[in-house]
Amino acid sequence: MLRGAEIVLSCLRAEGVELAFGYPGGAIMPLYDALPDSGIRHVLTRHEQGAVFAAEGYARASGKVGVAIATSGPGATNLVTGIADAKMDSVPLVCITGQVRSGLIGTDAFQETDVFGLTLSLTKWSRLVRSIEELPSVIAEAFHWARSGRPGPVVIDIPTDVLKAKTEFAGPVKFQPHTKSAGIHGVTTFTETLVALLENARRPVALVGAGVKLSGAVADLRLLLDHLQVPAFATVHGLGAVPPDAPYYLGMVGMHGTRAANLALHETDLLLVFGARLDDRVTGDPSRFAPHARIVHFEIDPAQLDRVRACDLPVIGDLAETIPAFQAVLRRVTLPGWSSWRNTACTPERAESDPRGLASPTIRFLDELFRHLPDDSVIVADVGQHQMWAAQRYRSSAPRGFITSGGLGAMGFALPAAIGIQLAKPETTVLCISGDGGFQINIQELATVRRLRLPIKMVVVDNKYLGMVRQWQELFYARNYSETDLSDNPDFVEVARAYRIYGDRLNEDAMREFPVSSETSQMLQRFLSSPEPELLAFDCHPEANVYPMVPAGGTLSEMIFEQE
Amino acid sequence: MQAFHIEYRNTQGTLMRILNAASRRGIELPYVQATPADHAHAVTLLLEVSPRQIGQLCRDWHAIVDVTKVRAGIPFTVAAHAPEQSATPHLPASVRVALNAAARTATA
Repeated sequence: MLRGAEIVLSCLRAEGVELAFGYPGGAIMPLYDALPDSGIRHVLTRHEQGAVFAAEGYARASGKVGVAIATSGPGATNLVTGIADAKMDSVPLVCITGQVRSGLIGTDAFQETDVFGLTLSLTKWSRLVRSIEELPSVIAEAFHWARSGRPGPVVIDIPTDVLKAKTEFAGPVKFQPHTKSAGIHGVTTFTETLVALLENARRPVALVGAGVKLSGAVADLRLLLDHLQVPAFATVHGLGAVPPDAPYYLGMVGMHGTRAANLALHETDLLLVFGARLDDRVTGDPSRFAPHARIVHFEIDPAQLDRVRACDLPVIGDLAETIPAFQAVLRRVTLPGWSSWRNTACTPERAESDPRGLASPTIRFLDELFRHLPDDSVIVADVGQHQMWAAQRYRSSAPRGFITSGGLGAMGFALPAAIGIQLAKPETTVLCISGDGGFQINIQELATVRRLRLPIKMVVVDNKYLGMVRQWQELFYARNYSETDLSDNPDFVEVARAYRIYGDRLNEDAMREFPVSSETSQMLQRFLSSPEPELLAFDCHPEANVYPMVPAGGTLSEMIFEQE
Repeated sequence: MQAFHIEYRNTQGTLMRILNAASRRGIELPYVQATPADHAHAVTLLLEVSPRQIGQLCRDWHAIVDVTKVRAGIPFTVAAHAPEQSATPHLPASVRVALNAAARTATA
């Protein structure tokens, strides 16, 4: 006879779970009682949001399912932001929440919330477990939906009496999904139509998103793009899928994308979209997006088609299958060379000039950090100006090397996510870049970093503002800096030291020399190579802005640049 | 007014997810009828939607794990329905079953 809690943990092990992140409480206590003998390592964070972001970081870096555990009520509600983040960015995540005992459900009992209802629109699938007998099948099904198709979050809500109950346990089960009718009529024979479109195109381009990485199709995509030799660019989640030194690669596209990428996307007459959902940060005003283009959309999730802009040719399926199929056909046809268009789109005249203005020391700082990073490093960025500068300067071709909260844009993501990333990749340098606002949202996770002695390199780009909001207020709200002033920030170096983490500070003046002084360079190299967790606070000019910028509601051709 | 017919396995929350696809877009739900249908359930919705929303909704519904079929029916006016049907409150299948059982018990 096993307790429900033991059955849960046994089933988690059967699904390959080695690591879970969580925070205990009343309703989930039986599960925590069974944890020590379960063979599953548990990481105690200091807030449930830290746990779910850490589980996300683990999943994003490893490709495995992340597991987060919380108690009922406020524990469960504290997971919600992370669940939403996983949904937006297609992260496989299983959240297990305790619930009050079955007889109290619906009575507004102590620490009871309707987490099933709360997360309904944020999850691929969820279940309130009603009996101990359901546990094996529920857990098997949960992991199936978290992993399959477009990955995403699931929630298993387990009443405490179910965790305490006992039953004979025959072992974990396998889930057999029902077959679903192909109600969405994707184009299964797309290659002929696509070749015809390419033959008639004069200015084709390729947009690469996260789906290429999630499908494990990066190598196939690179072969395809090398064959096509069309201008290519990436969303923030697609960074690293295309080698940055490829002659046709134009960088990141979108609201803070490169000038060359945005112009090419605006001018194209045939847009090939690989695993990107054409988010509004990429399209700008959807009604004026790629005004001359026909769109071919390679996508595994039919729900992402035609959301923002109708496509001309949907190619529904796993990119690991559709891209090779496309490439196989291309080997048999002769396409136009597009050299003239490529030369135009990729001309050095379209590239940005070297960074100048108030942001240039910060950009140079990031360049210097990135220059010293090993090739297999992982950069995790929080949300804000620093995120966009980091994305713009990212030059690695490691597919899972740049991790950030893209679709939801959840501040406070980076530090806990870095914990999960470091645990997924213990031999890898993990560089965690936050702004001063976002760093404070989950600053308590410094305790987790310290307890585990994770050698995360934490950078705080400190401009003493909620920088991205301040930028919008400067550009679009007549410099009315309402509620964005963080000039009374604590000393982050002292905060780190209070958590027994070494901290240091670098002023942007050190970045005004070019090249940087040997003293500064050595400091950065020592910081990055330290076997201990370390924090480096970088003083950034308060009014530095991210450029180029496409204003909200603008088109990609209407970029704002740094003023001379 | 557009009719939509969705077949689904009546697992926890599936009907709620179907309705939420409309409600999250601020679309009102003037008519909802869910009934058992063979081994599954079926729900008929009447919604005031734009042509673009028709495609978006159908794709969203089809993406729901336990939805098996989605069909956008021909448009028709609400007046074509018997008023007493539209006035009947929507009951979940489990409640209807319980009411039927109680009725059988009462007449037995």
